[in-house]
Amino acid sequence: MSVLGTLVRKEFRQLRRDPALLRLVLILPVMQLLVMSYALNNDLRHLRVSVLDDDRTPLSRRLVEAFPHGVTFTPGPGAEGEAELGRLLREGRCDIAVHIPAGFARDVSDGRSPAVGLAVDGSNSSIAGRGAGYAEALLTREAARLATENGRPGGTPVKPAVRFYHNPELESRLYMVPGIIVILVTIISALVTGLAVVREKELGTLEQIRVTPVTPLQMIAGKTIPFALIALVDLILATLFAVAWFHVPMAGSPLVLLLGVFLYLVVTLGLGLLASAVSDTQQQAVFTVWFFLVFAIMLSGFFFPVQNMPPWARALTWLNPMRFFMAIVRGVLLRGAGVGDLAREFSMLALMGVAAFGGAVALFRRASD
Amino acid sequence: MSATSSTSTSVDGLAVHVRGLTRRFGDFTAVDGLDLDVREGEIFGFLGANGAGKTTAIRMLCGLLQPSSGSAMVAGVEVGRHARELKRRIGYMSQRFSLYDDLTVDENVEFFGGIYGLEGAPLRERSEELLPLLGLADRRRTQAGALPLGYKQRLALGCSLLHRPRVLFLDEPTGGVDPVARRRFWDLIYAQAAAGTTVFVTTHYMDEAEYCGRVSIMVQGKLVALDTPGGLKALTGGRDMQDVFLRLVEA
Amino acid sequence: MKRVRALAAKELLHILRDRRSLAVAVLMPVVMVALYGAVIDMEMHDLPVAVLDQDHSDNSRELVRSLGAGGFIVETARLEQAAQVEPGFRRGAFMAALVIPRGYSRSVADGEPATVQVLVDGSDAATAAMAANYLQAVVQREARRIAAGSGGGAPAFTVRPRVWFNPELRSAHFVVPGLVALVLMMICAILTSIAIAREKETGTLEQILTTPIRPAEVIAGKVLPYVGLGALDAALILAIGRFAFHVPMNGSWFALAAYCLLFIVIALGAGLLISAKSPSLRVAMMAAVTVTMLPTMILSGFMFPVSSMPAPLQVLCRLLPATHFLVVLRGVMLRGVNWFPHETAILAVQAVVLLVLAIRSFRLRLE
Repeated sequence: MSVLGTLVRKEFRQLRRDPALLRLVLILPVMQLLVMSYALNNDLRHLRVSVLDDDRTPLSRRLVEAFPHGVTFTPGPGAEGEAELGRLLREGRCDIAVHIPAGFARDVSDGRSPAVGLAVDGSNSSIAGRGAGYAEALLTREAARLATENGRPGGTPVKPAVRFYHNPELESRLYMVPGIIVILVTIISALVTGLAVVREKELGTLEQIRVTPVTPLQMIAGKTIPFALIALVDLILATLFAVAWFHVPMAGSPLVLLLGVFLYLVVTLGLGLLASAVSDTQQQAVFTVWFFLVFAIMLSGFFFPVQNMPPWARALTWLNPMRFFMAIVRGVLLRGAGVGDLAREFSMLALMGVAAFGGAVALFRRASD
Repeated sequence: MSATSSTSTSVDGLAVHVRGLTRRFGDFTAVDGLDLDVREGEIFGFLGANGAGKTTAIRMLCGLLQPSSGSAMVAGVEVGRHARELKRRIGYMSQRFSLYDDLTVDENVEFFGGIYGLEGAPLRERSEELLPLLGLADRRRTQAGALPLGYKQRLALGCSLLHRPRVLFLDEPTGGVDPVARRRFWDLIYAQAAAGTTVFVTTHYMDEAEYCGRVSIMVQGKLVALDTPGGLKALTGGRDMQDVFLRLVEA
Repeated sequence: MKRVRALAAKELLHILRDRRSLAVAVLMPVVMVALYGAVIDMEMHDLPVAVLDQDHSDNSRELVRSLGAGGFIVETARLEQAAQVEPGFRRGAFMAALVIPRGYSRSVADGEPATVQVLVDGSDAATAAMAANYLQAVVQREARRIAAGSGGGAPAFTVRPRVWFNPELRSAHFVVPGLVALVLMMICAILTSIAIAREKETGTLEQILTTPIRPAEVIAGKVLPYVGLGALDAALILAIGRFAFHVPMNGSWFALAAYCLLFIVIALGAGLLISAKSPSLRVAMMAAVTVTMLPTMILSGFMFPVSSMPAPLQVLCRLLPATHFLVVLRGVMLRGVNWFPHETAILAVQAVVLLVLAIRSFRLRLE
């Protein structure tokens, strides 16, 4: 135990002496959380709607005004003809183009159901699909209202009553912020651990320690415990910040979250060690960890739901610890999930922890051959 | 501990006892059937051109590398079988002076002491004893990175001596250090040997080879000569060790 | 020119010798396109939905049957009571639930409005909104079917939606241009700054400078292989996008190449500036990643629309060359526009400023 204490104390001393690194691991995550939380959202905001009104009647103007001028839609430049409307879309000066045909009001009152054109710029598909759906729903609702006013109820004997759980205002931020926390914890724990080990390799101190009676397990524990604590502090800081600043609910128990973090850190620290074992320079270690992160983030469901992926990608996510921790953090914070609700996630993380850490210990042991 | 039982089988009076030690990397044989005996308290010089296999041999003797075949007893422990017990009994200092530059002298001492299970009063006593000897008593709060090279070298030596090793391995310990600092370093080595520590040293400086009790020269993984410096000069007809070395290596 | 060629040849050797960095430089873009193209999908598929049918009638069964059509939804659970909804959400077993109340069929038959509950787990806001939209549409379609059976009227007007430039909303069409920007940044800015910082650290830069070579030649020789590598990567990505994901090329290849070249100059300027300002390799590496790569991923509109960000962040976005480069790339490839006066002006100014700053700070270091 005292050998371990010596190793851990040394690591903390070195951290204290390296203010740049300390800033990097303690302040940067909170700043990143702030920027990313504002940047990474795909809420529909300020979609520019350009309208070509070929009818110019009170009824057509009413349809134009159906687009609320606020957060979701803002008026785009007007167009004088269909060609110009097309040009606006092509030049990227509007996101949605609405064309109300001539004779619209007459056709409506005659019950001829005229078609209103709705064109969406699909080159930005992250918003195009939902933007189109939203605008279409808006117009359809207006159509139903008109039909009722004309004394011909549009025939809606069944009404859907929609209710959103856990996030009634559908703020994507509530969903993204816990995901960002997961990514930050991963970067800190895997990257910083990997770098710290490789730096000792570069300096030759790792070799110096190898000729001492310190066991590989002690060495690894001494190296990882400090960074596990730092990652834990980061997680707590980021979570407090998320709750206080972004009003992310803390629906579940912090203890469940802590259990999840503990299991996850075993995995990521193990991966950091593995990266350091296969790298001789810090540059290689950074590349190796970075490579892993790019794929882990993509396949974690962070931004793109796992069920949306093709089967082969979905199968790959089973190898991705971030996927399971992501589910735990979001489940606990947003839905109040307990250990029983997340049994699969917890057991997968435990399994991966044993594999990653065991692999790292084995590699370090083998390095002496 | 099982390691203690192997102690009893050690050859009396020998700190290092090597027979047929071989290490292969694929097709390449780095160390080829090394036979070697070093007496306790001896200063043993281990010479050879770059790439002759010195470092591989030392790494095996320190338990950092498994031998492919052959046997070696170091400080009464069989190498490759009781690595931990071996590491408790040896000290190792390399040409890189592997210290933590961002830790102070005291903190480095505390760290390396702690690794060997030395702490509290015993550690304090030991460092009170060693640091003045090393000329570091008034630098205890200086970060290692800020020390002149000669001081760093002595600190690295001190760190490898904290646990009173029976055999001390020095791998090119004086690289890049000025002649005055080298002289002072060797004074410390003599003092350690006089106190009973066996010193196993590799070097490129042939004047340093003269300081050793016996010297061995390795060429392409094999030992080509082993004798006192005087004996080697007589054998080869060289004027000094430099001459001896050149004659043996280029032969 | 001969000296530049000697330097460039040496740099190329460095690149070829360092297998892992080479693998990162060549393999990563390829794998990224494949993965991003496959994983980024803005449409909804196989959304797990639970059904609670309290009516058990032909009408209610018809409604449930119509859910599965289209492949957007899979029914993962059949519930017995409303109390099962909340725990299911908590477990993440399904993301939405359709509750058909008792008496649904009778109300419909009597011409009274019936209410079907659509319950959605809102924690993933974007998916939740799509799910709600889709489920509502299903219910409304069913309503129309029933109304048509009982002789109801037509709607006042219909909407004829059409998606331009990317009618199937294929995400690859949208991601591939972004990856070109990202990879050019990665190769030209990050690798260049690392390569120069490393020479500075090992002292070989000083060694080279003791030869009669001019600083500009040093820079050119150093940078040329990375320009080649960056261009190769961009071509690889475009080829994969075109042949594997059928990303269209509606504009001219010439315009595309010209704008890529302009962006490469910017990325190189950024890389040079970073390496000139960094005291060590470690700092250069960190700075290159945080100043060039991360913003390009997060703030350029690569995946996250700039218009959705708060105003101060949008200012930052517009300072970023990649933001404008992306507008151009998507414009050329998807919309078939070849000339962007506004973006061209901004990119040109950025290129000149960065290059001048980089060369100036490089000179300062050398003297």
